[in-house]
Amino acid sequence: MLGQIKLVFFFMLLSGAAGGLWYVQHLKAENEILTLNNAKLNDAVEQQQAVIEQQLRDIEAKTEIADQLAKNNAKLTADLELANEKFNKVNASGERRDVGNLALSKPKSIERIERKREQQRARCFEIAQGSPLTEEELNATKKSQINAECTNIANPNYIPY
Amino acid sequence: MRVEILEVLEGHFGKDKDITVDSHMMDDLGGDEFDIVDVFVQIESKLGISIPEEETFDIMTVSALCEVVERHVGSD
Repeated sequence: MLGQIKLVFFFMLLSGAAGGLWYVQHLKAENEILTLNNAKLNDAVEQQQAVIEQQLRDIEAKTEIADQLAKNNAKLTADLELANEKFNKVNASGERRDVGNLALSKPKSIERIERKREQQRARCFEIAQGSPLTEEELNATKKSQINAECTNIANPNYIPY
Repeated sequence: MRVEILEVLEGHFGKDKDITVDSHMMDDLGGDEFDIVDVFVQIESKLGISIPEEETFDIMTVSALCEVVERHVGSD
């Protein structure tokens, strides 16, 4: 009888040990899977971070392009206003200027004006490239003294009236 | 004749402008070089005269404008 009880205990201990071993093995296996999953998640996080950084760089580049486009747009608008002032100016009687007709009536005068404006444009490029302003340009305060092609950079002391 | 010139100037630059013989067409009346050529064309048309272009170069004041126009009124 005692022998039977011992046997039962022995089997109980054996099954307990086997269960514990199985449990430990199972935990180890789960732990390995979790470690692998963790590594995958870390990889995914790194990839996402790389994607986010790339997106930030893209946004920065797009912002720069947008700024450049805005600058170009402002310049084109200014040029358009200048061209409108030159070619489509309306006088006090509401008559629109027709430079073409003026050129037919007074070709030499218009050619002379255009030549002067061309020289002024060339001077604008010089100034834009760093050429210092002359005394005459700095002291220009009247409309007849200014460079009409780029007054904002050529005649800083001129205030339109 | 000065009345006609004044009419053209007022029509072009505006009646609100204080136009005198001393007025500078760019500095005082706000015009540009094209405006001055335009004014000459209008005056020639109004008075039926023709002014050689060379005589109109560099004319900026109303007095100089009147002077050159007066030279041609009656002579054309």
